[in-house]
Amino acid sequence: MNQFIQEFTKGLWKELPPFRLLLGLCPVLAVTKSASNGIGMGMAVLFVLTLSNMLISLVRNIIPSKVRIACFITISATLVVAVELLMQAYAYPLYLQLGIFVPLIVVNCIILGRAEAFAAKNPVHLAIADGLGMGLGFTMSLTFLGAIREILGAGTCFGYPVMWDGFQPFTIMVEAPGAFLCLGLTLAAMNYGTRRQLMKKNRDAAEESTVSPCGGCRACSVGRNND
Amino acid sequence: MSTSQNNDILLAISTPPFWHCGRTIRKNSFHTLVALTPAVIMSLIHWGLPAARVMALAIVVAMVTEAVCQTLMKQKLSQDNGTAAITGLLLAFLLPASAPWWLVVIGAACAMGIGRMAFGGYGANQVNATLVGWAMIFVSFPFQMDAAASLLQTDLIDPLLKLKYFGADAVADISLFDLLLGRQLGGLGSSQVGALLIGGIYLALRGVIRWEIALSFIIGTFLAATCLHFADSSLYAGPFFHLGTGSTILAAFFLATEDSCSPHRPLPMVLYGLTGGVLVILIRAFGSYADGAPFAVMLINLLAPMFALIRSHPFGTKPSKAGAADWRTRA
Repeated sequence: MNQFIQEFTKGLWKELPPFRLLLGLCPVLAVTKSASNGIGMGMAVLFVLTLSNMLISLVRNIIPSKVRIACFITISATLVVAVELLMQAYAYPLYLQLGIFVPLIVVNCIILGRAEAFAAKNPVHLAIADGLGMGLGFTMSLTFLGAIREILGAGTCFGYPVMWDGFQPFTIMVEAPGAFLCLGLTLAAMNYGTRRQLMKKNRDAAEESTVSPCGGCRACSVGRNND
Repeated sequence: MSTSQNNDILLAISTPPFWHCGRTIRKNSFHTLVALTPAVIMSLIHWGLPAARVMALAIVVAMVTEAVCQTLMKQKLSQDNGTAAITGLLLAFLLPASAPWWLVVIGAACAMGIGRMAFGGYGANQVNATLVGWAMIFVSFPFQMDAAASLLQTDLIDPLLKLKYFGADAVADISLFDLLLGRQLGGLGSSQVGALLIGGIYLALRGVIRWEIALSFIIGTFLAATCLHFADSSLYAGPFFHLGTGSTILAAFFLATEDSCSPHRPLPMVLYGLTGGVLVILIRAFGSYADGAPFAVMLINLLAPMFALIRSHPFGTKPSKAGAADWRTRA
């Protein structure tokens, strides 16, 4: 159970798919024009990722390793078609908004990446935990990015106006360049935070022992010069 | 192992160049500001205090943004070298005099923050910082950026819009002299073509900007406009019209020549300028925007590393095909 929770939580922050692993960037950049688009896309990926991880983990011992990629793609393609049909039936406006990016989930790097790196080597319950965690992290990231872009670029959040009267929308944020700008700035902020944490950790370690705990990497030396 | 031992320098190896002519960034900035002064005066004469408001606000916001970013990045503050002020002033030159304060603030902050400091500071940006800020607000707020839509009291017209909507015959009677004196609607500084031309020539003579880039930019514009004009003179205006309108001259002398975004050998510089000039005309004639000069400069900024690959091979070696050698030894 402990391991289950560990595999589940790593996708939520430590290996957050778009921001830490930088995987699956195509939908991240393309469909995050609004927060609701982001959450819809995230849910679709969550569904496909969890089920494909589960199936691949179930059949991992009977697939010959030479043809494993083709098998993974077949499994995820089947699931994506299922998602597409479900969306057409129950969330048609969302389906129209996401367009080609729903079928493109098949070739999303996260699906294949998790299948290859995790599900093909681990038992079923861990694979499901991994898929759920990664999928939730992906959904969170897309919703976050979509919300920022929607608030700045249209003045609304999930369709509700949140800015003051007379707010002029910063339209570039809902255009294609805005996606790159938002992603880049988010990554920069996360890297800055990680660097700060690392510096703090190294400072504490350096105080405890006089011997340098690492080979003098950048984060370390920056931290020590600031003392 | 303490840090003091690491800092004891036994042998220092410095990299070339070892020869220095004594020119500094601050002096270059000073000359650029001097060169921009005629255009500032002309824009004050034309637009009055609103122009002063836009220019002052843009400069202040650009410098403050740079200071804030440098504090966050733990760099030395460098507002005294004047590059931030020039970025702000050039951005103001591209705005209409009626620009609301928040537009100027967003533009200047984006220009310095995203256009320059996000890449690491002065000299590290790939695309002219002024134009990054300009493009972001131009795409986002087209109405406020349109001088013809926001300056209703004036009787001046925007010659490029007239050309776009009424054809070349409608602009045939606009005299070059009027254009040079700035009697046209456009960015508050970029429309002062004559003053910018004087400033640009001063800069080229001082050697602050490379005359090859400016001259080939103008020649490129001239040639492309002439070709189109002879092909169909009822659709495409003549070369002098294109040189005198919009921000062609500002782009040729002040935007395309930014050191960090342009190649530095003679042939690449000429090709860089020619490409920019041709792109100006192509965007104006076939694009959806009235003025193509800033976009043309952004495009050639991105092409500059490609132009820089054109270089002579070292003496005694065989010329190799592009990409054959290790790319790190090139450019």
